[in-house]
Amino acid sequence: MPAPPQVAMMPRARLFGLMLFFLGPAVAVYTAISIYPLLATMALATYRITANGDYEFVGLSNFVALLSDPSWSKPFWNAAWNNLKFFIVHMLVQNPVGIALAGLLSLPDLTGKSVYRTLIFLPTMLSVVIVGFAWNLILSPLWGVSEGLLKSVGLGALFAPWLGLPSTALITLALISVWQFVGIPLMLIYAALLNIPEELVDAARVDGLGQMRIFAFIKLPLILPTIGLVSVLTFVGNFNAFDLVYSVKGALAGPNFASDLLGTFFYRTFFGNQLQVGDPAMGAAVATVMFFIILVGVCIYLLVIQRRLSRYAY
Amino acid sequence: MRPSRLAVHAVLLAYTALATLPILLVVMNSFKTRNAIFGEPLSPPDGLTFSLIGYTKVLRSAHVGTWFANSLIVTIGAMFFVLLFGAMAAWALTEYRVRGVTALALYLTIGVMVPIRLGSVAIVAMMRHIGLNDTLLALVLVYVAQGLPMAIFILAEFIQQIPRDLRDAARCDGVPETRIFFEVIAPLLRPAVATVAVFTVVPIWNDLWFPLILTSSEGTHTITLGVQQFLGQYITDWNSVLSALSLAILPVVVIYVIFSRQLISGLTAGAVK
Amino acid sequence: MATLALNHLNKSYGETRILKDVNLTIGDGEFVVLVGPSGCGKSTLLRMIAGLDAPTSGDIHIGARRVNDLEPAARKIAMVFQSYALYPHMDVAKNMTFGLKFSGLPKPEIDRRVADAARMLQLEPLLARRPRDLSGGQRQRVAIGRAIVREPDVFLFDEPLSNLDAALRVSTRVEIAKLHRLLKATMVYVTHDQTEAMTLADRIVVMNQGEIAQQGKPLDLYYTPANLFVAGFIGSPGMNFFDAVVRRSEAGTMTLGGEAQPDFALPGALVPGARLKIGVRPEHLRLGGQGPLQVRGAVELVERLGEVSYAYARVGGSQIIAEVRGREAPQAGVEAVFGAAAQDLHLFDEAGRRVASGSHP
Repeated sequence: MPAPPQVAMMPRARLFGLMLFFLGPAVAVYTAISIYPLLATMALATYRITANGDYEFVGLSNFVALLSDPSWSKPFWNAAWNNLKFFIVHMLVQNPVGIALAGLLSLPDLTGKSVYRTLIFLPTMLSVVIVGFAWNLILSPLWGVSEGLLKSVGLGALFAPWLGLPSTALITLALISVWQFVGIPLMLIYAALLNIPEELVDAARVDGLGQMRIFAFIKLPLILPTIGLVSVLTFVGNFNAFDLVYSVKGALAGPNFASDLLGTFFYRTFFGNQLQVGDPAMGAAVATVMFFIILVGVCIYLLVIQRRLSRYAY
Repeated sequence: MRPSRLAVHAVLLAYTALATLPILLVVMNSFKTRNAIFGEPLSPPDGLTFSLIGYTKVLRSAHVGTWFANSLIVTIGAMFFVLLFGAMAAWALTEYRVRGVTALALYLTIGVMVPIRLGSVAIVAMMRHIGLNDTLLALVLVYVAQGLPMAIFILAEFIQQIPRDLRDAARCDGVPETRIFFEVIAPLLRPAVATVAVFTVVPIWNDLWFPLILTSSEGTHTITLGVQQFLGQYITDWNSVLSALSLAILPVVVIYVIFSRQLISGLTAGAVK
Repeated sequence: MATLALNHLNKSYGETRILKDVNLTIGDGEFVVLVGPSGCGKSTLLRMIAGLDAPTSGDIHIGARRVNDLEPAARKIAMVFQSYALYPHMDVAKNMTFGLKFSGLPKPEIDRRVADAARMLQLEPLLARRPRDLSGGQRQRVAIGRAIVREPDVFLFDEPLSNLDAALRVSTRVEIAKLHRLLKATMVYVTHDQTEAMTLADRIVVMNQGEIAQQGKPLDLYYTPANLFVAGFIGSPGMNFFDAVVRRSEAGTMTLGGEAQPDFALPGALVPGARLKIGVRPEHLRLGGQGPLQVRGAVELVERLGEVSYAYARVGGSQIIAEVRGREAPQAGVEAVFGAAAQDLHLFDEAGRRVASGSHP
C-alpha cells in the first residue's frame, strides 16, 4: 500500500488554501475586533479632539497630562491605587481561601464532596450585577438583615453602612468580589490537586505524615505553577474590573470616588457622565495605560514566575 | 467520624452557608410582602406574608422576555461561532506544520491575556462606522473575538490527543481534508465542548460592559444589562427589585444545577493545562 | 524484624466482596509473594497490611501487636510502590530522609542510615539528583532505599517491577533477592508475574477472587498444585488439560478414557464414572515420549527459541503445547505423538480439586 499523502507532500498552493479556509475566520474576527481596536486605541491616545471635532496629533501629551496634570492625575492615581488595594485583597483573601477549600475538598473519602463543590461554586455562575445588588441589599442599613444577624451573635456594634463609607467601601466591594469569584481559583487548584497521583500521598502516609503535613510539604509545592497561573489571572481580572463597582455604585464610583477603579475611570473618561463630557482620546490614553500595567504583570509572570516554577510530570 | 473529619465538614458547611445564604435570602424575600421583607427578613414566606406583587410588577413593566431572548441569541450565536472557528483554527494549527504556524499560534493565544475591553473606544467607533451599533450582531462579533483565544487553546490541546491513525487512515482512503475535519475530527470534539462552554458561556451571559457600550435601545439590551437598568430605576421598590434579581438568578441556578457535573468536569479537565 | 499474622480478613466495597476470609501467617525473615491475576485482591491485602485501607473485619498482627487501628507509620512498615512514588520536587537524598525527619530521629542517625542504604544500592552518585533526571531502574532503587532507611519490621512491595523493561526487570529482581539475603527482613511482595513469584519467594501465596487458592514453597506449588487454578497459573507456558472419565476401577488400578487420548491405566481407586481433568505441563509432554498418556495431533505451529522450542498441536478439539528440546523440531502440518510419564500427570476432580493417585500424592 502506498504511503498516505503526507501534509508535507501537498502542493503548496493547496496547503495555503487549506490554511486560509481553516484559520481565516478565526484570525479575521480576532484581528479585526481584538487586536486592531487595541492598536487603534493606542494610536488614538496620541491625538486630541479639538473643539470642532477634528483630530490633532499631540504625541504623548495625553499621557503626560494623565500622570501629572492634577485634573487628570488625581483621579487616575486614585483609581490606580484603589485597583492595587483591590488586587491585594483578592490575593490575601480569595486565593488562600480557594486553596484551603480545594485542599479540603480533595481529601480522600469525603462524603458530600460533589454537593459542596456545586454549592460553593454557585456564586461564580451568577451575574456580577445580581451579586452586587444582592449584597447591596443585604448590607443595607435600611433592610437591616446583616445588622440583625450580627446582633444575634453579639457583634452588633461592628455594623456600619460599609458600602456607604469612603473608608470601607472599596474593601467591602473587594470582599464581595472575592465572595463571588473564589470558585475560579478553587476549581483550578482542585484540578491540580486531583492530578497528584494517589501513590504519592500513600508514600507520604507510609513515611508518617499526617494530612496537614502532606498538604504543606507534598501537595502545595507541586501545585505552585497553578497558584502562579491563578495569581496572574487574578491580576488581569482585577485590573480589568468594572462591572461590580458600576452596578453597585454607578459610574461615579462613590462615595467620593472611594471605590473608583481603573475600569470605572476609563468608562467615565470615555463616555462622560454628569460631571464631565466624554473625551475619547483621553479615554484611549487611560485604556493604553491600563494595557501596559496588565502587560507588565503578565510579562513578570511569563518571564520570571513561570520560568522558576517547573511543572512536574508524574 | 474522626474529630479531624468533623472539623473539615464544619468548615465546609460554614463556607457553603456563606456562599448560598445571600442568594437564598434574596429569593426567599422576593415572595413576601413589603412589610414582611422589612419586618421579618430572615423567615420564609408563609400564608400571611406570601406575595407575588414584586413579580407581577417586574414582568409587566420590563421587557424581560426580550432581554432574555437577546441574551440567548447572543450567547448561543457566539458559542456556535467560537466553537466552529476555534475548532477549525485549532485543527489547522496542530495539523499543518508549516513555517510560521507557531508564530500564528502564539498570536492567537496571547489573546487570553489581552483584555478586549481596552479596545472599546475603537470597537464602538468601528461598529458605528459599519452600521452595527445597537445590534445583537455587534455583540456576537465581539464575544466571538473574546472567546476565540481560550477556545483555540483548549481545543488544540484536545485535538492533539486524538490518535494520528484516524487521520492517516482517512488520508489513505483519499478523503479530502475538509471532510476529514468535519466528519472525522469534529464529532470527537464533543467532550471538549463542555470545557469550552464553561470558559465562554458564563462570561458572555453575565457580561455588563459590552451591552452597556454597544446597545442603546431597551429592545437590544441583554438580560444582565436590562436587569441592571431596571434595578437602578426602581431602587426603592424592594419587592420589584428582589423579584427582578430572583428572576435573573433562577434560570442560571437551575441550568447550573442540572449541568453542574459536566460543567465542573469540563472546568477541571481544561484547567489542568 | 517480625512476624505477620492475618486472621479472618474480609474486605467489601458495598456489595462487592474483595477479600473473603483470608488467613495467613508469615514468619520472621520470610519472603512471601502474593501472586494472582488482576482483581484477585492481592494489592488490597497489601494495602491493608500497610494500613492504607482498613479491613471490613478481621485482625492484623505485626509481631505481638494488633495493628488494625494504627496509622501506617506506626506499624513499622515500609512500602515500595509500583510507580516508585518518589517526591518529584525533592532530590534523592531528601526523598529518602523526608519521612525520618518527622519521626524524631537525631540527624546523625538519619545520615548514617542514608549513607548505608546508598552504599547498598549504589545510589551515592545520585544523591543530589531529582527523580526526573533518573532512569526507571534508578528510581526503583531510590524507592527501595527510602524503604530501607525506615528500618521497618516488614517490607511491602507492590508490583515494583511492572514498570521496568524486560532486561531491567531481571536485574532488579536479582537485586531484591540479594537484598533479602543481606537484610534477612520479612518481605511481602505482590506481583501478577508467576516467574517473579517462583524465583523470589520462600513461600508463594496464590490468590484468586479474594481467596487463597494455595500457599507453599514454590516447587511444592509447581509439583503439587492443589487445584486447577494453581495448576494453570504456576508455570509458563501453562499446563495442558485433558478431559477424562474413569471407565473402570479394580484392584487399585483405574482405567481412564477420554476423547483426546486412548484409554490408559493409573494406580488409584476412584469411582467409575467420575469425571476428571488431567493436567500435564508442556515440559513433561515429550515428543514420542514413553508413558501411559499418549496424545496424537497435528502440529500447527512451532515456536523456536533456540535450544527450546514449543510445538502447538491440535489434539481432540483443543490446542496443546509441548516443549521440544534440541535442534530437531517437528514441522508444522505433521502429525505427531506426545507422551507423558505417570508421575508427571496431575488429576483434578470436577470441583477442580487435586485428586490423589497412586503415582502422585
